[in-house]
Amino acid sequence: MKKQIYKILFLLAVAGTLFSCDVEEFSDLNNPEVDAFNENLTRGDLQDLVGGILYSSRVRLGTYYDDCGVIGREYWRFSSSDPRFTSDLLGGENAVLDNNTFYITNPWAARYRTVKNANLILGFLDSQDLSAQFSNAEVAATRGLLQTFIGYELLLNLNLTNENGIRTDVADADNLGPIVSRTQALADIRNFLVAGAENLANGGPEFPFVLSSGFEGFNTPSSFLQANKAISARVAAYQGDMAAVRTFLDDSFLNLSSSDLNTGIYHNFSLNATDIANPMFFPLGATTAGARIMEPNFLADAEAGDFRVFGNPELNTLGKVVERESEITLDGLTGNYDVFVYPSQESSIPIIRNEELILLYAEANINSNPGEAIAALNLIRESAGLDPYTGDTDAAALTDEMLNQRRYSLYAEGHRWIDVRRYGRLDELPLARPEDDVFSQFPIPLTEGN
Amino acid sequence: MKQNNFYRRRLLLFLFLLPCFVFAQNTISGKVTSESGETVPFVNVIEKGTTNGTTTDIDGNYSIEMSTLPGTLVFSSLGFTTVEQAVSISETLNITMGESAQALDEVVITGLATSIERTNSANAVASLSAEDLVGKTPPPTLDGALYGKFAGAVVNQNSGAPGGGLSVKLRGATSLQGNVQPLYIIDGVYLDNSSLSAGLNAVSAAAAGGSASNQDNPTNRIADINPEDIANIEILKGASAAAIYGSRAAAGVIIITTKRGKAGETKYKFSQSVGWTEAINLLGVRDYTRQRVLDTFGEDAANDFVNAQNNGTLVDYEDEIFGEKGFIRLTNFNMSGGSLKTKYYAGVSHNNEEGIVRNTGYEKTSLRLNLDHKAKDWLKFNLSSNYIYSSSDRGFFNNDNSGTTIGVALTATRPWDGLLADGNGNYPDHPNNSSNPLQTRDLVTNNERVNRFIMGGTMNLDFYRGENSNLELVLRGGLDMYGQQSRAIFPKALQFQKPSNGGLNGVSVQGDTQNKNYNLSAFLVHNYFTDSDINFRTQAGLTNERFDRDTKLVTATGLVASETNVDQAANTGVVQTRVKQEDAGFFAQEEVNFQDKFIATVGIRGDKSSNNGDANAYNYYPKGSLAVNLNEFGFWNEGGTWSQFKLRAAYGEAGNFPPFGALFTSYGAFSTDGLLGISLRGVRGDKEINSERQKELEFGTDLGFFNGRLDFSATYYIKTVDDLILQSQLPPSTGFTTEFVNAGELQNKGIELSLNATPIVNDNFEWNIGVNWFKNKSEITRLDVEPFNVGAFGATLGTYRIEEGSSATQIVGIGPNPGPNGFQVFGDAEPDFQMGVNNNLRWKNIDLSFLWQWKSGGDNINLTALLTDLNGTSHDYDTIDLDPEGQLGNGPYRVSQLGSSAEVFVEDASYVRLREIGLYYTLESKMLGNVIGGAIDSVRIGLSGTNVLNFFDYNSYDPEVSNFGGGTIFTGVEVTPFPSSKRYLFHLGVNF
Repeated sequence: MKKQIYKILFLLAVAGTLFSCDVEEFSDLNNPEVDAFNENLTRGDLQDLVGGILYSSRVRLGTYYDDCGVIGREYWRFSSSDPRFTSDLLGGENAVLDNNTFYITNPWAARYRTVKNANLILGFLDSQDLSAQFSNAEVAATRGLLQTFIGYELLLNLNLTNENGIRTDVADADNLGPIVSRTQALADIRNFLVAGAENLANGGPEFPFVLSSGFEGFNTPSSFLQANKAISARVAAYQGDMAAVRTFLDDSFLNLSSSDLNTGIYHNFSLNATDIANPMFFPLGATTAGARIMEPNFLADAEAGDFRVFGNPELNTLGKVVERESEITLDGLTGNYDVFVYPSQESSIPIIRNEELILLYAEANINSNPGEAIAALNLIRESAGLDPYTGDTDAAALTDEMLNQRRYSLYAEGHRWIDVRRYGRLDELPLARPEDDVFSQFPIPLTEGN
Repeated sequence: MKQNNFYRRRLLLFLFLLPCFVFAQNTISGKVTSESGETVPFVNVIEKGTTNGTTTDIDGNYSIEMSTLPGTLVFSSLGFTTVEQAVSISETLNITMGESAQALDEVVITGLATSIERTNSANAVASLSAEDLVGKTPPPTLDGALYGKFAGAVVNQNSGAPGGGLSVKLRGATSLQGNVQPLYIIDGVYLDNSSLSAGLNAVSAAAAGGSASNQDNPTNRIADINPEDIANIEILKGASAAAIYGSRAAAGVIIITTKRGKAGETKYKFSQSVGWTEAINLLGVRDYTRQRVLDTFGEDAANDFVNAQNNGTLVDYEDEIFGEKGFIRLTNFNMSGGSLKTKYYAGVSHNNEEGIVRNTGYEKTSLRLNLDHKAKDWLKFNLSSNYIYSSSDRGFFNNDNSGTTIGVALTATRPWDGLLADGNGNYPDHPNNSSNPLQTRDLVTNNERVNRFIMGGTMNLDFYRGENSNLELVLRGGLDMYGQQSRAIFPKALQFQKPSNGGLNGVSVQGDTQNKNYNLSAFLVHNYFTDSDINFRTQAGLTNERFDRDTKLVTATGLVASETNVDQAANTGVVQTRVKQEDAGFFAQEEVNFQDKFIATVGIRGDKSSNNGDANAYNYYPKGSLAVNLNEFGFWNEGGTWSQFKLRAAYGEAGNFPPFGALFTSYGAFSTDGLLGISLRGVRGDKEINSERQKELEFGTDLGFFNGRLDFSATYYIKTVDDLILQSQLPPSTGFTTEFVNAGELQNKGIELSLNATPIVNDNFEWNIGVNWFKNKSEITRLDVEPFNVGAFGATLGTYRIEEGSSATQIVGIGPNPGPNGFQVFGDAEPDFQMGVNNNLRWKNIDLSFLWQWKSGGDNINLTALLTDLNGTSHDYDTIDLDPEGQLGNGPYRVSQLGSSAEVFVEDASYVRLREIGLYYTLESKMLGNVIGGAIDSVRIGLSGTNVLNFFDYNSYDPEVSNFGGGTIFTGVEVTPFPSSKRYLFHLGVNF
C-alpha cells in the first residue's frame, strides 16, 4: 500500500513539473518584423530593404497597364474568369468603374505599398546614427533613390485617378495628408523628384547596395540622376510646363538618335518562385482564358510599312501585334491580332526609355521650336521605317503627329489613354460596341475614405 | 491474491443471481454491483408505489425498511437499466445492474472532469449516439454525420470532392474574421482540424485578383476520425455550456468519446459496405441550334457545330467529366472484451472511395486500441490510441484566373470542341480555352496524404472515500501528431504547361506539414453529500496546451523530362510557415444539487496564451447556471402524464484567440531578378490585441410526458461577441491594406426546439420520430471602424458587408436602388430556419430509418452561371425567365447586369434533402441456428443512401458549396465547384 502511495506521489511530481507557470511569448516566426530595423541597420539590411522596393514596384503592374491600355483602346484584355475587363473597363452596357474592384484597388494599393516601403527606409535612416555603417554620401544616395521611386509610384496612381487626385503626404500612416488635386499632386511629385535629384547629386560614386539588371547603366548615384531627370521631364510634360521639360531633358539620358530608342531603366521579371513573371506576356494564339487582343483601329490607322505594327521585313522581326491563326471572340468583341510587345515571361518592362524622351523632346519644342520638334519626330519615323514627316508644321498638326507617334512608339506601355486625356481628345477614341463608354479616370478606392 | 479476489467476486455475482434467502423482518439490505463487478454507489432504491426510498452508499450498500411485504423494489441509477425486484421476505438482496445502452445519452458534460445527468443539466447540450451517427448509413466523414441531427448546427460541405472538406458552425456567427469552427476534443485530446493548402495557386492563380483566401479546398483534418469508432458525441453549442473550455470555446466544443471494451466474452463485429457515388445534379448542355451558335460564336463555329451534329460527334463534356460512378468500399472490424481489471476495444477500418470524377478518390485506414485498466479499486487508467493513414485525390477545381481548373475549363467548352484523346492517349489542345479539361483530369495529380497518431490517457485516483464525501484526482494528457504531404503535379504535357502556350513547362508543388499538439490537465474533484440529500461537488484544476505546426511548401517549375521531384526543375521556391502557440490556465467549479430539485453551478476558467498581446495576463471566463426540476417537487404523481418539467438558465463566457500573426507588422521575402528583397505584407498587426469574448445567456425548458415517450425541449439564447477582431481595412495609401483591431460587437439570438416521440411501440412494431427546428439571427450591434466589404469578389459580383445594425452575413452589391452606403442589399447567407426530421421504424426484424433536412432561406453568391454565360455555354443561356422584360435569354441577361447590378448573382440557397436513409434486416442467432456452430450472434444486411433525394431551386449543382472553404462565415460563394454527389451502399454486418 505504502509503495503504491510513493508511486502516486512520484506521478504527481512528474505531472506538476509539466505545468509551467508562464507561457512563452513568440515573435513572428515566419517573417522579419518592421520594428527590428529601427536599430542597428546594417548594409545587408539596407540591401534587402531596397530590394523590396524593386520587388513591390512591380506588383500589380499588369493591372495598371491593362487599365491604361484597355480604356485607352490600345487593346482588349480577355479573361474568361473575370468579366470586368470587358464590361467595366470598356463601359459596356451600363457598366461603370467601381471604386472597390481589383482594377483600381490593387494597383493603387501596390504603388502605395512601395511608397510605404520607401518611407519606412527613410525613417530607419533618420532615426539612428548610421555613421559606423554608411558614409553620409551613401545615405544621401539612398535617400535620392527612394525619393525618386516615391515620385514615380505616386505618378502612376495619379495617372489612374487623374482629376480625382491622390494623397501625396503618406509618410505617417496614422496621420495621412489629404487627397490633393491633380495640379497639386503633380507639383508634389515633382518636388519628390527634385529633392531626390539633390540627394543623388550629393550621393558620391556608389550606392551602398546593388540594383537589378534593369538599372544597368544607371546604377550609380550620378547615372541614376539622369533617370530621375527623365521621369521629371515626363511629370513636367503632364504639368504642361514645356520649358521645364526641356531643362529636365538636358540633364537626362536623352539621346537624339534613331538607333538608340531603348536605353533606359527597366523592371526585370523572372520565373523564380519568389519573383514575378512579366504580367504583360501572353503567348501568341492565347485563348479567352487570358489574352490581350489588339483594338482593330490600331492596325487600321497605321501607316503602311510601319515596323512598329507590321514588323521589319528585312530583319524579319515581328511588330507589336501579330495576326492570329483564328479570330477570337469574348463578350461581343472579336479580334484577330495578339498584342506581342513582350515576347516572354522574363521580358523587361520599361520604367522610362529614350524613345519616350525623344517624343517628349518633340512635344516640348512644338511651340517654341517646331523645327526641332519635326527633327525629333523624324528620328522616330525613321526608326519605324517611315518617310520623314511632310504634313503641316503648325502646332495643331504637329501635336497630332506627336500623339500619333506616341501611340505607335509607346504601344501597350501605358501612355495612350493619358496622352489623349491630357490633350482633351478622349472622345476620339474608338468604341467597339455601341453602348461602350470611354472613362476619363478611376474613382478613388472606396477604402481610401476621405 | 488477485485470483482470490476475482473468484470471490465471481462467487458474489453468482450469489446475486440465486433466489433470495429467507430472513425475518421487513428490512431489505444488500449490495449493488455492475455487470463488470464494480460496486455502484448512489443508486436510487425505491419501494414501488410509495415515496419510501434510499440510495446506496459509496460502496454500493443499501438498506431499506419496506412498508409492506411482499412488495417490489426499484433500483435505478444513471447509466444502468432500471431493475425491478419483487421481494416477499426480509433478506439480503444483492443486485447486479446492467449498463444501459442509452447510458451515455443521459449524461452531459458540465466540468472538465465531470458530467451530470441530462435531467439535471441547465444547458441544451446535444448528444449523438453511435446509432445516430452511423446507424442509418456510414457517413463519408465524421462532420458529415452531423447534418440535421440536432438543433443549432449549420453544417456545410465546401466541395463535393471525396474526402471531406466541411464546416460546422454552431449557433450562428461566432466571429467575423476569427475562427468559427468548433473545438474538437476526442477522449480528452485537442484535435487539429486544419485545412492545409496544397499550393495550387501557383497554377490556378486564383488569388491573383486579390482574393487572399485559400481557394484550394483541401480536406479539413477532422475527416481523419473514423465514425465507426465513436460511442457518442456531445455538442456544447455556445459559451454558456462551453465556458469551461475558456479561450478556445467561443465557437462551441464537440466532445467525442470513442467506444470502450466491456468485461466478459470477447465480442467481434465485422461489417462490409459496398456501393457507389454519383452526381446529384448535372446542369446539362445549352440547347444549341445553328443560328444560336452562329450568333454567339461566329461562322466557323456554326459550321463545326453542324458537322459535328451530322457526324454524331457532339459530346456532353459535363457528363464526360462528372458522369462517372465512383465505387465505394468500407470495411470495419472491431473486437472488445477483457477482464474486470483490464478491458480493451480494438478496431480497424479501411475506406476506399472513388469520386465522380476519374482520378479522384479517398482512401483511409484507421487503427484503434482503447485500454482501460483498473489497478486498484481506487486507481484507474485508460488509454485511447488511434493511428490513421489517409490519402485523398481531389482533382483540380474551383476558381482560377488562368482557365486551367477543370470547372473553369468546362465553362468554355462546347459540345463540338474535339477534346478526346487519340489512340495514343494524346490530347488535342482546347480550341477555345487554355486547358483541355479531359487532359487535366487525366494527367494532374492533387493528392494529400496524412499519417496521424492520436493518443489520450487519463488516470483517475480516489484519494479518499468517506461516508458522505470523496475526493478524486484526475490526470489527463493528449497528443495529436500528424505529418501531411501534399503533391500537386502538373506535367509538362498539359496544354497550359507547354512553353509554346505560355506554360511553365511542368509544375510540381509539394508540401510537408508536421503538426504536434499536446495538452495536459490535472483536476481534483470533491463530492460531499449531506443527510438531507444535498450534493456539493467541487472541482479545480490546471490545464496546459501546446500547438506546433511547421509547413514547408516547395513549388518547382520547369520540370526535367517527366521527373516530379522538386529538385528536377528549373525554378524552385520554398515557403515555410510555422505556427506555435502555448496556452495555460486553471479551472474551478462548484455544483450544488438540492435533492434533484435545484441544480446550481458556478465556475470560472482563467486562461493565458502566447497568442494574446500580453502573453502572461489571465483572461477570465465565468459561468453560472440553474436548473429547476419542477417534477421533483411532488406536484405530480409518479407515473402520471408529466415525467419531466424542467426550467433552466445558464450564462457563460468564452474566448476566441486572435489569429496567429495578428500581433506583428512584418515584411515578406521576395526577389527581383535574383536580388532578394523584403516588402511589407500589407497587414498591420496590433501588439495590444485582445481575444474575442463571447457572452451567452441561454434559457429553456425540458418537458417529458408519458414516461419519456414524448419529450419536448425549447431553448432561447442571446449570444454577444465583444471585442470582435477585425481585419479592418486601412486606406491603402498608408501602405497597408488591413489591420487587426478589436472593434465591434456582434449579437446572435436564436431559438432551438426539439421534439422526440415514440407514437407506437409494441412487440412487433416501433416508431420513433425526432424533429428539431432552429433559427438564428445575427446583428452587428457595434462597429468601431468604417463599414467594409469582405469576402467574395467585390461589389460588382456581390459581396458581404460588415455594417452596424445589419446582419453579419448580409450580401450587398452594386444595384439600381442603392442605400445611403452606395450598395443595395440583395440577401443574407443566414438561413431563415433549419429543420431536421428523423424517423426510425422497426417491424419485427426490419429497421427503416430516414432523415430529412430542410434549410429554408440563406443566399449564395453564384458565379458559375456568369462564367458560362460569358462563354455562351450556359445550360439556360436561351431560357427566358430572368429578364423582367422577358426579352433576353438568361445568359445575355446576366451578362447585361454585369457592372450595373449584382442582384442576379445572389441566389436563394434553400434545400430539402433526404439526407440519410437505411433499411436493414437483422437475423438473430436463433434464426441462424447452427451456422458455424452457433457462434454467430447476429447478422445484419441492408441498404442505405446519402443525399438520395434533393430538392432545390438553385441554378447550379448544389446550393451547398463554398469556394473559400469553411474557415469563415463568408462562405456561400460558388465558382465552378466539384459537384456534390449522392451515395448508395449495401451492407453486411456480422456480430460474433
